[in-house]
Amino acid sequence: MSILANKDTRVVIQGGAAGVNAARRMAEFCYLIKRPLTVEAFVYPPDAGKTNEVPYGSGLIAIPIYKTIAEATKNHPAINTSLVYIGADRAMKGGMEALDDPNIKVVSMITEGVPEKDAKLLGAHARKLGKVFNGPSSIGIISAGACRLGVIGGAFDNLVLSKLYREGSFGVITKSGGLSNEIIWICSQFADGITTAIGIGGDAYPGTDYVSYLEMFENDPQTKAVVIVGEMGGDLEERAAEWYGAKKRRVKLIGVVSGFCQESLPKGMKFGHAGAKEGMKGEGSARSKSDALKKSGAIVPPTFGALGPAIKETYQELLKSGQVKEPVEPAVLPRLPKSVEEAMKADEVMVAPLIRTTISDDRGDEPCYVGYPASELINKGYEIPHVIGLLWDKRLISKQEAEIIKRIMMLSADHGPCVSGAYATILAACAGIGLSQAVAAGLIMIGPRFGGAVTDAGRWFKYAVDNKMNVDEFLAYMKKNVGPVPGIGHRVKSLRNPDKRVKELVGYVKSLDIKTPCLDFALAVEQVTAVKKDNLILNVDGTMAAVLVDMGFPVDSLNGFFILSRTIGLIGHWVDQKRQDSRLIRLFDYLVNYAAPKRREVPPLK
Amino acid sequence: MAKVLEGPGMGLMKKWGIHVPNYVVVTSVDELTKLGQANDWMKTSKLVAKAHEALGSRFKLGLVKVGLDLNGAIAATKEMIGRQVGSITVSQVIVSEMVPHKEEYYCAVKSTREGSEILVANCGGIEVESNWDRVKRLCLEVGQAPSAGQLEKLSKDAGFTGPLAKKMADFAGKMFTCFDSEDAQYLEVNPVVTRESDGELVALDAVTLLDGDAKFRHPDWNFQFAAEFGRSYSKDEMEVMAVDSKIKGSVKFIEIPGGDTAMLPAGGGASVYYSDAVVARGGKLANYAEYSGDPPDWAVEVLTEKVCSLPGIKNIIVGGAIANFTDVKKTFGGIINGFRKAKGDGKLKGVKIWVRRGGPREKEGLDAMRALKDEGFDINVFDRNTPLTDIVDKALQK
Repeated sequence: MSILANKDTRVVIQGGAAGVNAARRMAEFCYLIKRPLTVEAFVYPPDAGKTNEVPYGSGLIAIPIYKTIAEATKNHPAINTSLVYIGADRAMKGGMEALDDPNIKVVSMITEGVPEKDAKLLGAHARKLGKVFNGPSSIGIISAGACRLGVIGGAFDNLVLSKLYREGSFGVITKSGGLSNEIIWICSQFADGITTAIGIGGDAYPGTDYVSYLEMFENDPQTKAVVIVGEMGGDLEERAAEWYGAKKRRVKLIGVVSGFCQESLPKGMKFGHAGAKEGMKGEGSARSKSDALKKSGAIVPPTFGALGPAIKETYQELLKSGQVKEPVEPAVLPRLPKSVEEAMKADEVMVAPLIRTTISDDRGDEPCYVGYPASELINKGYEIPHVIGLLWDKRLISKQEAEIIKRIMMLSADHGPCVSGAYATILAACAGIGLSQAVAAGLIMIGPRFGGAVTDAGRWFKYAVDNKMNVDEFLAYMKKNVGPVPGIGHRVKSLRNPDKRVKELVGYVKSLDIKTPCLDFALAVEQVTAVKKDNLILNVDGTMAAVLVDMGFPVDSLNGFFILSRTIGLIGHWVDQKRQDSRLIRLFDYLVNYAAPKRREVPPLK
Repeated sequence: MAKVLEGPGMGLMKKWGIHVPNYVVVTSVDELTKLGQANDWMKTSKLVAKAHEALGSRFKLGLVKVGLDLNGAIAATKEMIGRQVGSITVSQVIVSEMVPHKEEYYCAVKSTREGSEILVANCGGIEVESNWDRVKRLCLEVGQAPSAGQLEKLSKDAGFTGPLAKKMADFAGKMFTCFDSEDAQYLEVNPVVTRESDGELVALDAVTLLDGDAKFRHPDWNFQFAAEFGRSYSKDEMEVMAVDSKIKGSVKFIEIPGGDTAMLPAGGGASVYYSDAVVARGGKLANYAEYSGDPPDWAVEVLTEKVCSLPGIKNIIVGGAIANFTDVKKTFGGIINGFRKAKGDGKLKGVKIWVRRGGPREKEGLDAMRALKDEGFDINVFDRNTPLTDIVDKALQK
């Protein structure tokens, strides 16, 4: 037996994320004692119609979310208890809604900072209806082996350590959430554990006080003793003492009260709980409470530390008198399935990784590029080209190499609005398309005819150099096996109208004291091809390719230099159009050669 | 509970139709001089000047001056503003008109478990405290307002007769309306007096405690709540309060000058048991602190830094019960960061740290604390098998 929360308890939780977290904790307890999940519904208007997923064992249970309590209890008529996880400004409305539902008999509120008046109104309303309103700021209620409401009891391991999988003989009532757990633990270590533990909340006027719960425990034959953990402020402990002393009670009462330190502290000091405040004339002090409890015949250990031994002594007496028997522990207890992460940590499982990376690690407090922390790179004067070197070729390039890359990027960042990439981005921008998609539209243009020849050019120049071909052998090989030489030829530029970008880059690289076999070979090729046809010059793709291959960059990465550089321009074009608020554009029909058949009659469908 | 100073307290009463004397709250002599030119009553009435701060025994401290004319009030203000009393600097002075009167009465409304209670006595001032049996009460259930008949009976029971009985009943009714509408927890007017000029009852002094939790539905509460223990909050206390107002869960910090045992326990309930244990062992608390409700680690870190900055501490008690859902590893992570920072700043020399805790991820959290030993911290770590407050016994063992 137990009180308030038992085998018949079915729950609706009012609230969002905190409520879902509570449901997860409750599911762990249900799993521990092998009962189906007690939470049947959530009420949370913003998510009404959806479900919350609650892990149970190794599976997941979908719990429906409703807009109102009435809908929840209509669809789940077994619901008789509501847990309120709503913010302080709306908690009263939610609590009243639950109390007013005919199916709901117990409402427990975890919300902290509920106005005192609201809490009193909720308590009074519940008493009028003959229902229980527990809280506010209650950690919850737990009945060992039967039912858990809220997060009281803590993590799964603690549930097991505190033997909450089976009933004991001690009832617990506390104002403090953390101490409820401590007392549950003490009862399991110094005695046979608990029947029910209730957090009544630390507010000045809890909806239900010690006396009401003491009555319930008195009427629960399984409960042999009750531990109450009080604190200064209010008169709840005095009322409990009054109840206990009024007549011979079946249950034993053990009580401790905190707040003796107040005698030597500045007056009016605020403690953790709203209700922990001594009255203006000394009433509600720890001493007066403690004295009242002692006078009523309750066992009052002098300190919190003496509580364990006092509980133990009480338990020994109960054993001796035959009122309780030593509990039999189950041979095997269910264990909560471990998450993959936990199991890996415990070396219990090997997981084959899904992907593998050799360049970047984000698991620390900042990203590391091939092991180098980004901030350290910055602070030691490295720049973007070095990051490219690390992430594309896994090496720290030299200052000189970085300068070459910087120049390549500056030269190819943009090439006006008419080229395929920029034009596509502008077209998209004018159609109202967002930045990433419009830039992607431009990037899609990069291919064999526009900007995408860098990789191929690099590949074949490198092939020629690696195989020690001369220009004639190379051109013959290309003609036979590949086709036009990538990196050679330009739509508008020619020997007489050279590409300034190529001149600039070649001039700079040649001015340095470095070996450039690919570039030398590419220039030699140009010497031959440009003679054949004026515009078969080494173009900017081919120049970049040759230089980058000479620097040792992998061939597959080469197009990346153009893509990266040109992205700067494409973003610029999108922003430019956006700022001008450009209108939708379309082609004029005079720009189209309509070569389709003339208008004609559609033949009958056969 | 949140205490409200006299000025805003009287403002609330005035809002609900209770007569209060004319008053102004000023922060400088200039302001008072200008107000004196603008308000006739300041030129024609006798005035009272009081330091407008959360200070007890202002009269004894010379921070209440009565029977002044405007120049006298200006002189008194000049003398009071900027005066240092303990940790409080007087920054405001309330100047109000003196209300000539003969009789003094008493009226209060207080929160009770069932609802509220209206208290009325036909004596006031210091007289009421020595004649507490003359205070008559009307108990009301929450949600219930007093009827005119009930109020009149209360007034008559308290010994008011004739037209005054009706006036006192009205006054008490308005006090209740103010109490109920403003989410007050305690309202006290002592004394209530009959103004000779028009025979109306006037509230001469107001003690106002409001329910700070109800602030969300009172957008016109544009005043600061006052510290309730006779001093203003320190810079560190205010910093922790600022953090507290921003986070899920809570962090609390109050300094107690002169102590040598610093407290950094978890939980509103356990923290008080830890404080009790220190006092019971003859130790001297250097502060009260508490964190709970799974606060973010950075908030606990801020709290830790403040605790480590307390002067003259010998021990730090990092206690806590077995948490329900506060992540021990995460919150201890914040404490550890705070300790490291403090040590880096040259603090914690010769300070012993005592840890006891349980709860989600307790093993990881306690292991991380234990590892601080290797960094040169004088730290002793215990788990759930050591009873809650035993670390205090160990710490204070000589």
